[in-house]
Amino acid sequence: MDDRGKAKLLWQVSAGYRLIFGTAILAMAVGYVFMFGVPLLARLAIDVITEPESLTLPNWFAIISPNVDPNTNNLSLLILAAGLTILLTAIAGIFLYFRGRLVALASEGIVRQLRDRIYSHLEHLPSRYHDKADTGDLVQRCSSDMETVRVFLAGQVVEIFRTVLMLVIVLPILFSLNTEMAWLSLATMPILFIFAIIFFQRVKSLFLEVDESEARMTTVLQENLTGIRVVRAFARQAFEIDKFAQRNRDFRDQNTRLIKLLGVYYGLSDLICLGQICLLLVAGAFRVVDGTLTVGTLFAFLTYVSMIIWPIRQMGRVLTDSGKAIVSMGRLAEVLFEPIESQHETEPQGRLEGEITFQKLFFSYEPDKTILKDVNFSVAAGQTLAILGAPGSGKSTIAQLLMRLYDYDHGSIELDGYELSELKRKFVRAQISIVMQEAFLYSANIRDNLKVGRIDASPEEIERAAIDADIHESILRFPRGYDSLVGERGVTLSGGQRQRLAIARALLKQPPILILDDALSAVDTDTEATILAALKERRQGQTTLIIAHRLSTVMHADKIIVLANGKVVQNGDHNSLSKIPGIYQQLCEIQGAIQQQLETDIVEAEKRQ
Amino acid sequence: MSDFYDDENFDDGFQENADGRINLGLWKRLLGYALAYPFEVTMLAISAFFTAISEIAFPLITRRVIDGVETEGASFDILFYGAVYFGFVVLLAISVASFIWFGGKIRTHVSHDIRRAGFDNLQKLSFSYFDFRPVGWLMARMTSDCERLSNILAWGLLDLIWGSTMMLGIAIAMLWMDVSLALTILCVIPALVWLSLFFQKRILKSAREVRKTNSRITGSFNESIMGVQTSKAFVKESENARQFGELTDNMFDASVLNKVQAALYLPLVLLLGSIASGLAIVFGGLEVGWGLVTTGTLIAFLAYARHFFEPIEQLANWFAEMQMAQASAERIISLIEADSDVADSPEVVARLGKNYPSNLAEDGFEPLIKRIQFQNVSFQYDIGGPVLVDINLDIRQGENIAIVGSTGGGKSSLVSLLCRFYEPTTGNILIDGVDYRDRGLHWLQSQLGIVLQSSHIFGGRIIDNIRYGRLAATDQEVFAAASRAGAHDFIAELELGYQTEVGEGGSKLSAGEKQLISFARAILADPQILIMDEATSSVDTMTERHIQKGLGELLQGRISLVIAHRLSTIRNADRILVIEQGRITESGSHEALMELGGRYSKLYRQQSLAEFSSTGDHWQA
Repeated sequence: MDDRGKAKLLWQVSAGYRLIFGTAILAMAVGYVFMFGVPLLARLAIDVITEPESLTLPNWFAIISPNVDPNTNNLSLLILAAGLTILLTAIAGIFLYFRGRLVALASEGIVRQLRDRIYSHLEHLPSRYHDKADTGDLVQRCSSDMETVRVFLAGQVVEIFRTVLMLVIVLPILFSLNTEMAWLSLATMPILFIFAIIFFQRVKSLFLEVDESEARMTTVLQENLTGIRVVRAFARQAFEIDKFAQRNRDFRDQNTRLIKLLGVYYGLSDLICLGQICLLLVAGAFRVVDGTLTVGTLFAFLTYVSMIIWPIRQMGRVLTDSGKAIVSMGRLAEVLFEPIESQHETEPQGRLEGEITFQKLFFSYEPDKTILKDVNFSVAAGQTLAILGAPGSGKSTIAQLLMRLYDYDHGSIELDGYELSELKRKFVRAQISIVMQEAFLYSANIRDNLKVGRIDASPEEIERAAIDADIHESILRFPRGYDSLVGERGVTLSGGQRQRLAIARALLKQPPILILDDALSAVDTDTEATILAALKERRQGQTTLIIAHRLSTVMHADKIIVLANGKVVQNGDHNSLSKIPGIYQQLCEIQGAIQQQLETDIVEAEKRQ
Repeated sequence: MSDFYDDENFDDGFQENADGRINLGLWKRLLGYALAYPFEVTMLAISAFFTAISEIAFPLITRRVIDGVETEGASFDILFYGAVYFGFVVLLAISVASFIWFGGKIRTHVSHDIRRAGFDNLQKLSFSYFDFRPVGWLMARMTSDCERLSNILAWGLLDLIWGSTMMLGIAIAMLWMDVSLALTILCVIPALVWLSLFFQKRILKSAREVRKTNSRITGSFNESIMGVQTSKAFVKESENARQFGELTDNMFDASVLNKVQAALYLPLVLLLGSIASGLAIVFGGLEVGWGLVTTGTLIAFLAYARHFFEPIEQLANWFAEMQMAQASAERIISLIEADSDVADSPEVVARLGKNYPSNLAEDGFEPLIKRIQFQNVSFQYDIGGPVLVDINLDIRQGENIAIVGSTGGGKSSLVSLLCRFYEPTTGNILIDGVDYRDRGLHWLQSQLGIVLQSSHIFGGRIIDNIRYGRLAATDQEVFAAASRAGAHDFIAELELGYQTEVGEGGSKLSAGEKQLISFARAILADPQILIMDEATSSVDTMTERHIQKGLGELLQGRISLVIAHRLSTIRNADRILVIEQGRITESGSHEALMELGGRYSKLYRQQSLAEFSSTGDHWQA
């Protein structure tokens, strides 16, 4: 990602907040002007006391209190200086408060916009993107990179402006007070600045190493905890303790090394900062003796320098961290500039009937690995089509293509005569209900998970669907029934329960097409029969695609196709296919053998009875 | 993942309470971890002390210099005092480096030690501990809680010593210079303490809210990526975005609140400081005029008025943080001190220490398992009703036992009892006539081989994963085990073969491949007892056929317990147990049970009809 891309992104997401940000910086500038007035008042007070005879009051002082005569009325002057000190601080405080508030509004607002945008973007990225992307890496971009950008906006940007503003305001004051002393005040600042920059550039890699060693430790911990059964089963506690101890120690030692280096840095930079103040004190003292500097001015110098030197020390860190933020911004931009699924297609009126036709269809996930080769078949509306085939033969791909999760390369898929690729994706998906191989459930309660099927489903409808998917009873056994949370914080579901929940969810949707993609693999055959029966009863003219590898699941379909290596090798129904030699017949023979075995078993059992 | 584990939604009985009292006993226990490094703690205290001393010294030297040049003029030795000042600068720099150095060491080491103690205990705790504590919860304890507490222990301790030295030192210095001026300025202190406590508590609380919301946001991102296909399939994008928008709105509100609190606090502190300065200017100025104090003293007072505030802010912050972190402290201490309800008894421990001849097991008994008996065994988990009721079972060496029955009937619990992951609530389990609670836990579990429905694979290379079965195994033995498990073929096809990195949790392998590796692992372990809990149910038929071969190898000559729901794969078991609602309802060979015409024969008929493929019946293999 080039810098222009990053800048463009930052510009886009800061829309609506740039003015607020600008106002915040302005508020900060005004606040500091007032705040830096305070040491001048102290200087005045000190000079009033120490050298009243040589004192010439500034013009503005006379305007505020025309009655004060510096030579006779020390008390009023002091009270005035004290009062103004408090007043200026209060005004500065108000502006600084607004700075804080406005910066928060702007930076958090920008980050909110960025978060919302990337979230929605991720959901609209094509499946091809998600296939290749590493979940952990994406989550990291959305969490830690986002956080880096947030800290940059809320902290580092402000910090940079703050330091610059401070210098812009303080330097003229210092030079107006005493040019020589002003130059002296600046003596060590470049050294400090360069030292800080070099140091943090140097330790950058160490920070990374610490993070990495922490990640390694966390991984071992996580694997141990998730695999605790395996650890115990092989009695590997001692081995695990050693393994963890090593990672834990590595992390500790790396971290200690980093902190020790930081200790050296802060020690040295303190030496420079305070050495600077020491230098000013000594040089100032000589000038006070000479009479070229008043005590009050010396005091003002000491105060100003100790106000601006710490931010300058921080600059090294701030600039290094800003560098990190720019990298993070780039990582976010990479995701955000990734093109999303096409959305321009048309959307026909009303509901589809559910007629599906595949013609000469070719498809590949990767350029040189063709998954589907010249696939032809059709299903009339309301029919049931079963798809059989070995793993990897392309069964699920057909379902995914129908959902428009992927775009096909050659050939055509028609839905009710419409070319699929010319239909709006969301429209197509609304016409299809699918139960996928790996049922994904949201970390919400069971009711809300079912409502994913249809958001306005009534409690009765939800229960009906759960009964049909043979999961109602199990749900009632959970401590909180339909309100039980799914996932780690709630109930743990077996593979079969997940599948059945996914089926119930799909049943609620009631679109023209239903796809069961190996959706019954984890339920026992008893349950499978119940569910299939319920499905049959429930179906009202729905076109159904069943992908399975159990014969019992597919034999009653209107149409059966057998896939092998991405090609349709057999096409017919149970009666026709079981009569011709081929894969289907082989399956039936295996089935027959079992049948025979069973019959023998039963006969034998009866004989013995 | 632990980062977005949200404690709020998991009721673990520990309350977050910002207004709670500080439980000193708890913190004393934790302090013990820091005191394990007496040298570092002493050095930290000394450096903190000298840091404060130098900071207190600077205004005093400045005062002396100003008074010197004012009163003595050219005869005053400026350079000498400059040198003294610089001496303190050096002292401060060394102290700062040293407190970071030693504080850092304490922080990282305490965190390491707590984590280590936690991990060691987690390896001992029985499964009943894990049943009600999700992995994410445990991860949060072992990572963020450890860091948080060690931070408090190291830097909190530092600030406590530094802060109290600073406040005490400044107070003494001010009182020494001028009592009445000192008292005037110290008037501001109570207001400052109150203000700091008031704000720090709220700021920390809202910061915690920010963290929590942030973890939820991360969780949402994770979920949206993991479930992207489902969201697309159900056209959930806009609904998801709406829900996510609510979350980012919450995040916005919480973060802005947090920042506004800080934005309010800082100016108020500045204002209080300016009041102190104002008081110093008026009263100090007057006293200088009356000749009661010197200009230098006034300047020192102005400097101290500024410095007094930092320690108060810091200490208020730590006080609030300790209140907030108390729940973390309780959680981690409870984790470290939890007792395992399955552990070697003192008698067994005493026996384990002895040296036995090599033909005996580590606990002094015969190493060969000839017989396992369940005598009137009943069992229930900590929560919920009885799971197993009055189980009697006699298993002989080499017997292959299959267990069938409905989900939740108690099949897995029976196996867990045998593995001594749990112990019977009543009744006994005997190994060769000895109650297994009188045998060594480690010995028993070393005799087990387990293959589960979803096989757990560790990150790292394939070879390491197989070798997990027997750590001392040579490469050749690993290869042999893989061949016998039927895993060798697919491994050989990989570019790096056995050296292939499998990714975190074996993410780069298919379910079937993971299963084959876990078979190889079990074969390599060469266990006396083999447990298979629905080991082949999650793999497709092709892979299952593949696995069957390895399976036959595995079962020979061992006691085995196989839980399965594909009945055709178990019909040749020596004995089949049907477990329903916690009881063994049927027991016998396939033929006997078919003859019985009960639950098993019913299940078998239904399934056989449905079964798609059973060509690789491993009992015959």
